[in-house]
Amino acid sequence: MIMMVKENLAMINPNDLTRPDCAVISLKEVTRDYSGHAGKVCALNAASFSIVAGEWVAITGPSGSGKSTLVNMIGCLDRPTQGALMIDGVDVASMSATDLDRFRADKIGFIFQQFHLIPYLSALENVMLAQYFHSMTDEKEARAALERVGLGNRADHLPSELSGGEQQRVCVARALINNPPILLADEPTGNLDEANQKIVAGLLKDLHAQGHTIVMVTHDPEMASLAQRRIALSHGKVFCHPVGGAIVPIR
Amino acid sequence: MSHRISLFQMIRRSIMHRRARSLSALLAMTISAAVATALLTLYTSLDAKLHHEFRGFGANIVITPAKGEKHFADGTLDKVQALAGPDANAAEFGYAVATTDRGTPVVVAGTDFAAVRRLDSWWQVTAWPTPAETSSALLGQHAAQFIGDENNVQLTFADRPITLHGAGRLNTGGDEDNRIYMPLASFTAWTGALPSVIELQVPGGAAQVESVIGDLRKQLPGIKVDPVRQLVEGENRIVDKTHALMYAAMILIALTVAISVLATLSASVLERRRDFALMKALGSSTIHMVGLFVCEAVVLSIGGVMIGYILGSGASSLISQLNFHTATMPRLSVLPAILLLNVSIAVLAALLPVRLLRGLQPAALLKGE
Repeated sequence: MIMMVKENLAMINPNDLTRPDCAVISLKEVTRDYSGHAGKVCALNAASFSIVAGEWVAITGPSGSGKSTLVNMIGCLDRPTQGALMIDGVDVASMSATDLDRFRADKIGFIFQQFHLIPYLSALENVMLAQYFHSMTDEKEARAALERVGLGNRADHLPSELSGGEQQRVCVARALINNPPILLADEPTGNLDEANQKIVAGLLKDLHAQGHTIVMVTHDPEMASLAQRRIALSHGKVFCHPVGGAIVPIR
Repeated sequence: MSHRISLFQMIRRSIMHRRARSLSALLAMTISAAVATALLTLYTSLDAKLHHEFRGFGANIVITPAKGEKHFADGTLDKVQALAGPDANAAEFGYAVATTDRGTPVVVAGTDFAAVRRLDSWWQVTAWPTPAETSSALLGQHAAQFIGDENNVQLTFADRPITLHGAGRLNTGGDEDNRIYMPLASFTAWTGALPSVIELQVPGGAAQVESVIGDLRKQLPGIKVDPVRQLVEGENRIVDKTHALMYAAMILIALTVAISVLATLSASVLERRRDFALMKALGSSTIHMVGLFVCEAVVLSIGGVMIGYILGSGASSLISQLNFHTATMPRLSVLPAILLLNVSIAVLAALLPVRLLRGLQPAALLKGE
């Protein structure tokens, strides 16, 4: 399976990255402005890039560079002020708020730096919560997702009874439960010790090997090095990515 | 542990998880429901209780003979009693002016002491004469000053003397203090005068009094029937003002509770912004989240109504016992109104902070910004 995905990636034509029909995520001149007391602030300025299915991309940049805004856009939590944003072939910029909620539940799996598990639900129920908002709950599937991240024996524990690494694995299981085509990981190892970082990094590697598209925001160069491509942001502008070029592994 | 995730399950867990916050909201709702239950329960029986209290102030209708007549025809009292109903109290009086042994004129009234005792329960009497004592009298406190010996009250009417035994003294603060009351039969036998006034006390408000007056005028033509205006109208005013006071109290309490619940729920929304942001990220719609939050408030309000209804019913019974000397039974009929009031407060108090959810920035919140 892993070999197959690697072969598939190797077969991607670099030129396909600019073709929206091949891209699972495609931004064209995407701008996001916010109006504040100090006037208009441009958080993302005419960003254009594409990510193909099965790709693992790291988004990097200093604080205030527009990473959160970009995650908002790709995660369908916000819409661009200008430009076209296509996800899995659909223009999300023109979607209604209700359709966007539905679309988000179908297409995006979130992995957060601070895990964000509901404190009064067990690990299993936290995974089932994603099923609840997506369609209907299935305990068997939720247990299987926890088994997949190595937490089969911790399913009935509350988040407060789990270590940071275990909580992040529950978060990964929750992100995977509805089989979304895109995994959006925002600093997935930012709150973990070295041992747990390795476990989570290993999980992401496995998921990528299984064909998941991973968009990962990170400050950690070591984590960024695991991705196939890096998209760097500064002051709301995308300034470093191989547009129309080869998929360049960072390492 | 149950692994079903449902709206109810999430609400239950959420309430249990935020015990202090939930208890605070539940307490506010309970107080609101208890006060509303107590007030409404008292309100529904208030008219009856106030009218009962007013019965202690004596007659609300005075009946006098037809113009030109000095006294009533035989059986008038029975007819009045029959028309006014079994709950009404009536007493007849005959009046004459006699002279005391000191030569002072004094008004002597003949009446049925048992009927007067029921009718004028507010009179302050040291000792009531018993029905068997045909020559015993009740001496008004001013009238007693003109009598030499209260145990041997000597009166003269049209040169006919009578000796009475003063059984007790009467103090009303009114005209009654200047009179001497004696049994009607002895009075008629002594003076030859028959009853010329019937005092009638009809239970109920102004409408009921007016209705009885109408019946009396119709059935006993010629007889003069007048309401004791100051009592009937005073009673009405007090009942109306008490109603208004109870409404105002209930509105004030409802507003206070609404503000308290609003503060609690607003704090709860702020506290749970990240939970809501997470739900949003997992695909929940804003309507779903608002529904979840409002349902939680409604569940708390229903809990508050259940506890508050029991406490309020107990409180109303206690208040009734202390003030009106009769217990008030819990009234299930007030429950729908209490439920509606509290659920409305909860929904309104929940919907205002829910506006915060609409402006939620999930990505920023989930990033801890």
